[in-house]
Amino acid sequence: MISITVNGRVCACEEGEYLLDVAERNGMLIPHLCYHRGLLPIGACRVCIVEVIERGRSKVVASCVYPVRDGIEVHTASPRIREQRSVIIALLLSLAPGSTEIKRLALQLGADIPRLVKAPESDTCVLCGRCTAACEALGTGAIAKVGRGVTKKIAAPFDGMPPDCIGCGSCAHVCPTGTIAYEHTDESVSVWGREFELMRCTGCNAPLMTREQHDFLTRKGGESPELLCERCGKQGVARKLKTRERYLG
Amino acid sequence: MMSDNATSRTLLVCCGTGCLANKAAAVADALDAACPEASVKRTGCNGFCENGPIVKVQPDDISYYRVKPEHAEKIAASLGHGPVMSLLFRDADKKLVLRQADNPFYAPQHKVALRNIGTIDPLAIDDYLDAGGYRALERALAMEPDEIIAEVTASGLRGRGGAGFPTGVKWASARAEEVFPKYVCCNGDEGDPGAFMDRSILEGDPHSVIEGLAITALAIGAEQGFLYIRDEYGLACANVAAALGAAEARGYIGTNIRGSGRRLRLEIVRGGGAFVCGESTALMASIEGRLGEPRAKYVRSVQRGLWDKPTVLNNVETLANIPVIIAQGGVRFAEIGTEGSKGTKVFSLVGKVERTGLVEVPMGVTLRHLIFDIGGGIRRGRRFKAVQTGGPSGGCIPEGLLDLPVDFDTLTEKGAMMGSGGMIVMDEHDCMVEVARYYVKFLSDESCGKCTPCREGLRQMLAILTDLCEGRGQQGDIELLERLGATMKESSLCALGQSAPNPVLSTIAHFRDEYAAHIEEGRCPAGVCPALTTFVIDSEACTSCGACKKACPVDVISGDKDTPYEIARDGCIACGSCRESCRFDAVSAHQRKEALA
Ligand SMILES: Cc1cc2nc3c(=O)[nH]c(=O)nc-3n(C[C@H](O)[C@H](O)[C@H](O)COP(=O)(O)O)c2cc1C
Ligand code: SF4
Ligand code: SF4
Ligand code: FES
Ligand code: FES
Repeated sequence: MISITVNGRVCACEEGEYLLDVAERNGMLIPHLCYHRGLLPIGACRVCIVEVIERGRSKVVASCVYPVRDGIEVHTASPRIREQRSVIIALLLSLAPGSTEIKRLALQLGADIPRLVKAPESDTCVLCGRCTAACEALGTGAIAKVGRGVTKKIAAPFDGMPPDCIGCGSCAHVCPTGTIAYEHTDESVSVWGREFELMRCTGCNAPLMTREQHDFLTRKGGESPELLCERCGKQGVARKLKTRERYLG
Repeated sequence: MMSDNATSRTLLVCCGTGCLANKAAAVADALDAACPEASVKRTGCNGFCENGPIVKVQPDDISYYRVKPEHAEKIAASLGHGPVMSLLFRDADKKLVLRQADNPFYAPQHKVALRNIGTIDPLAIDDYLDAGGYRALERALAMEPDEIIAEVTASGLRGRGGAGFPTGVKWASARAEEVFPKYVCCNGDEGDPGAFMDRSILEGDPHSVIEGLAITALAIGAEQGFLYIRDEYGLACANVAAALGAAEARGYIGTNIRGSGRRLRLEIVRGGGAFVCGESTALMASIEGRLGEPRAKYVRSVQRGLWDKPTVLNNVETLANIPVIIAQGGVRFAEIGTEGSKGTKVFSLVGKVERTGLVEVPMGVTLRHLIFDIGGGIRRGRRFKAVQTGGPSGGCIPEGLLDLPVDFDTLTEKGAMMGSGGMIVMDEHDCMVEVARYYVKFLSDESCGKCTPCREGLRQMLAILTDLCEGRGQQGDIELLERLGATMKESSLCALGQSAPNPVLSTIAHFRDEYAAHIEEGRCPAGVCPALTTFVIDSEACTSCGACKKACPVDVISGDKDTPYEIARDGCIACGSCRESCRFDAVSAHQRKEALA
């Protein structure tokens, strides 16, 4: 156990924990965008910047990827941080003026620089990289960041219809700006311009997963997973237990 | 009689990239044919490429410049009978210069990192050995790792790749890690436009880098390493590959280094093709086969670098200094340089100076010495305006600061940077707003685009600077550039974004009036920005030489011996080629009042 101070408050934590996690656990919220609990930290948007003073020296760091060290002093909303964070949000607003999430952040943090130009690409994507990180974490890697510098964008190969996509929708689920269209009916889902047929639970006939998802899990696990929804799966286990008990009894 | 003279002579033909582009290979072949008894050696870059191909005759110590294949016979016939006058260098007073050491471009230089380049054949390991090569490695094999590190620390060597981090400290941290395997890595990505010092070392003296890397490996306890080389550097890759083969065959690397039982495997990795790939974490991602994007560096590479293992990354020039330090001792190395910056530094001096090329000088010489003594001052007697040091991450330094010593800390203090050693000299016909725009454009294409402040900050800076250059500047733009710059500096993910505002902020700091003239008057004082400039030929000064007419890319200049030369309003794109081409200063720039066609 080590201890750090955040905005004057002493917080106990483990060496190497990420600063953002420690601050939030102690009730101090730091605005953030690319950080997502279910993903490895990305450290790209820089909305979560804070000021860290260590051995008398002060620096600006991204709290979501900054591993804490004993004795550091953290300020999450010093004038310097407020200024830089508002510039960053204003930059994001010019990149994605159509995103309600960014508009909300801009309003909340008082950030808008009318002189900035609109970026030509998407109206809402902030290039946070959550979607590609999610897709990569699953092992599919169907979508990617392509290009570099100011032409960087999130893209699916083959004109936006990624052949490796399994229609799981993780990208759309983690996207903070709702940029990725994901439609869901009883029979099928569609994402990235492709439509995926849904397979059904063999117990209750509820839509379960896409055929491609099932194939992917089969390839990954070496055997095909049972087509049972969570509820039917549990019931099955319970039934088995019951019969076994009867014979044993 | 003649063959006697030839036999005892060596002809060193510069076959660096610059001279090769001017047919140096054909020159060498022609010399081979013309003087079969002499030994013709193909060397690396002599650093004075604009005067290449360069041929040196030893032991007479005669240097010839701009040699063509058809000069081979003349050179052959002259051996032992005195120099070929027409191929000698002429200094500013038209005096002929015989020896390289008397050439004003070379005389003030002090070669350490470039010690062998231009005198040895990079493909001949015996040349390197004859020059004392691999003796430092033999010595290091008999030393304890801590002793090696102590020598490097005593030398005061700081990384030549840009940041100036003390090399001894870096090695000591990696050595202290108890995690294996460890890796060593050489950064030969050199993406800075106009810079070619690392290319020149890799091409001209690859063994010095390999020896440096092998010593690094002994010091930290690594058995594997990589040389990451910019993809465009074909000759460098080829020469390093050949050198690796030769070094292994002689046992300087491989499975049992000189019978010591130590081993080291080295391989070449071709660069990812972007400026950002030279950044340490992006470079490592690229070696691992991942996307060349930087990551948070709060845990340093000496702890967790390649494949999360302790890794030392050093620049090409840094490594080329290592054998000298180990052979002579760190204290001796530290005799050159300043308090905080020891040794020498190689600069690539380009732009509006009389003499351009690669120069190696002791740390601490002044910018004035570099530009005026070695570079010979500004071309065509124009006025010096600024020098951009450190490439896209660096800054512009104005005339008032020319007497500053060139070392890591002084340049950083002035908002510029030593960087990798790029030095672009600008004169009164360079517009500082346009210079800033040029670098911001370069960086907006070359940043990885991962983090918001760098990518979006550059996008906005580029839009604003373009507006300024095209007459759409607004009140408050200077302050907005400063505001964006301040945020990018502190909150960007990697050093690219953190240093990206330097060209903008330093030109604003020293040339604020020039920015203001663009915004408030729609005027480009240097007469560069086409949307704000027109050119006029002064008939009094014009000698009717016709140079401007030839130079004009869109053919809108009329005139001949009898009719005065004139620029037609319609069709002129205000590129300024006419002004640059006129030797009589008869073409002048004026503020444009009407819109550009
Ligand atoms: C955008 C960027 C580009 C860089 N490019 C290079 C390069 O081409 N060559 C190089 O040696 N260092 C480059 N560096 C510096 C490296 O990150 C690193 O500091 C250096 O290779 C360490 O070696 P040194 O200590 O010997 O200088 C670059 C840094 C940044 C931020
Ligand atoms: S699509 Fe969404 S998740 Fe992906 S980078 Fe853009 S904003 Fe982030
Ligand atoms: S500072 Fe620029 S180059 Fe570095 S991570 Fe951010 S976007 Fe990429
Ligand atoms: S939330 Fe930390 S950088 Fe995006
Ligand atoms: S290549 Fe010959 S001097 Fe540079």
